[in-house]
Amino acid sequence: MAPLASRLPAPTGKAPVLLQVAAITKSYGEQRALADVSFDIQRGEILGLIGANGSGKTTLLEAMAGVLPVDNGSVIWRGLALSLVHRRDVIFYLPDGLRPWDDQYVERVLEFFAAVYGRSKSEASETVHGVGLAPVLGKRVSALSKGFARRLMLALALLTPHPLLLMDEPFDGFDLKQTRDIMGLIRRVAANGRTLVLAIHQLIDAERICDRFVLLADGKVRGMGTLGDLRVCTDLPSAGLEDVFLALT
Amino acid sequence: MSGRALWTMLLILCPLVGYSFFQAVTLYGEASSAAREQPALASGLSPLDGVLVPTFGAFYVTVTLLFPFVALRALGREKESGALRLLVQLPYRVSTLIGAKMMAVMVAWLISVSPVISAVAIWSAFGGHLYAPETLNLVFGHSLYGLLIGAIALFAAAISESSATAAIVTLAFTISSWVLDFALAGQPGVLAWISRLSLTQTLRAFEQGLLPAGLVLGIASATGGFAALAAIWLHPGVALSAKLMRSVLCVCAIGIVLAIATQLKTSVDLSEDRRNSFPAADEQALAGLRQPLVITVHMAPEDPRYIDLQRNVLSKLERILPDVTVRLATIGQTVVGSTSEESYGEVEYSYGGRSAKSRSTSHREVLPLLYGLAAMPIPAPAAGGDFPGYPLVVSGWDALPWFLGALPLLIVVTWWWSRRAPNIPSQFIEDGGQS
Repeated sequence: MAPLASRLPAPTGKAPVLLQVAAITKSYGEQRALADVSFDIQRGEILGLIGANGSGKTTLLEAMAGVLPVDNGSVIWRGLALSLVHRRDVIFYLPDGLRPWDDQYVERVLEFFAAVYGRSKSEASETVHGVGLAPVLGKRVSALSKGFARRLMLALALLTPHPLLLMDEPFDGFDLKQTRDIMGLIRRVAANGRTLVLAIHQLIDAERICDRFVLLADGKVRGMGTLGDLRVCTDLPSAGLEDVFLALT
Repeated sequence: MSGRALWTMLLILCPLVGYSFFQAVTLYGEASSAAREQPALASGLSPLDGVLVPTFGAFYVTVTLLFPFVALRALGREKESGALRLLVQLPYRVSTLIGAKMMAVMVAWLISVSPVISAVAIWSAFGGHLYAPETLNLVFGHSLYGLLIGAIALFAAAISESSATAAIVTLAFTISSWVLDFALAGQPGVLAWISRLSLTQTLRAFEQGLLPAGLVLGIASATGGFAALAAIWLHPGVALSAKLMRSVLCVCAIGIVLAIATQLKTSVDLSEDRRNSFPAADEQALAGLRQPLVITVHMAPEDPRYIDLQRNVLSKLERILPDVTVRLATIGQTVVGSTSEESYGEVEYSYGGRSAKSRSTSHREVLPLLYGLAAMPIPAPAAGGDFPGYPLVVSGWDALPWFLGALPLLIVVTWWWSRRAPNIPSQFIEDGGQS
């Protein structure tokens, strides 16, 4: 079998490259969490970072956002190296499992974010209704269920103006119907010109929402492209993402 | 504001400050009763020493032991919950974030000081005398101390993964200051210099009505330095090596400013009784001594006479004269056994190539000796200006209902008010169901 790199498809070139991740390496002591990870993100797409737990998805998102120092590698924005201080100008990273400012009321947290990013009340209201947060605006963050806490985080991300959103496990904590609703919302966000990178370990969810995929295992990129591209790589013409993922990892 | 730490500390402060105030007022009243019978005693009754310093003393203990928990919460909660990763992505510099946190700490300190301010107001309502410059100077000193503790707490929160660790780091700073006070106070040489690093030393001058420029600069630079270190260590995306390098540069910069601060001798005596100054006529005359004055003290540093001499003469001379050098010629001597029994207790003053010895610790004897060395006439004492003293017989019991009842109730009500649910804007709840 040919080496993996030669089997990976080249960027399609259909959409302009927004951001390039170039040879990012990160180790925790002896353990290598990311090994020479490189890929492109195209403008307006929904890119899925797919991998099992511990494959390096969160580490990669944090490295891209600049909230985790890396050993090597760089992030290139429209052809120019993006320094740490400028990451926050174009990238917003939504971590997984956060319940920030938990002694505050939901409405105040949203108001704070809307004020920081100069969002009007109507924009804030639209976001609140978009993610279905209205019923819990008067509750403290600490009193929210897992699903509503996730919606709050999503609302915070949507209130930001950044062209690139990185989201870690955005569908965790949602049931099937809620997941579908949130997927619809994310699609509308992408349709409005924002680019999204979603770290997802549920392959069924990923297959439904993502335009392209980066498959990670043991901190290495094992495949990237559309599902069609990956099927070609694996010689599995009618396979789903699950089979493709198993074949490549 | 809605967190429990601040309000709990306020509730603890009420009885502590209240009891200190009660005791101070009671003792002051007893001393004032004696002054009624012997008017000469009245001049020793200063509200600064008798009421303000003891009342602020309870506040100092609370700020040292409890305020760190309030201050580090400003950052510690965000580190623990992971919200820091959101915070550093906001469109602000890290220094701006730390500046905002310092502002929050300052607001928390202002709220914390309210029981003490109420005690001062009650003292005034009782008819007690307050001299605004020395009172404000004392408040200013405590505010500098509070901000320094706050900055240390923020730094501790920035370098620690949990609030518990941050609390231990902060308390290590504050409590080790007490250790320095007890272990090294009165020691000569390097030990004396190390003992000056104690945080509690920051308040001593203000409690004596002094506003020393060097100390203010030193505390301000230490506060700024800890805040800068907090900013350096806050961002999780910066590599450890870069943080260490920046920290070294920051510590060097703080060290330079502190070194400059130690050389600043300028200070203003804001005490009403001018306890840190010689009489006005002497101060005017001494201002004419431009040559170096060398004072050699043959006493052990822990000798009470040396402490008297320092308070009554040396510190005042150092404030006025441009070039004073004080030498302890008794390194290795102790009060109970000196290497040269005959000279022990002597103080030698050398000025303009002449010298004279004295065993006195009073400026009334030392200053004429200095005038003699400088071949100057002894100035005539200026008339008036003596501190009259402010005796006041009043019962401290009257203040206790405020500190043990009304003020805690007011704090609880304010706490409850600060935790109330917000009014949800109508456009948020349109089509959105219940709120």
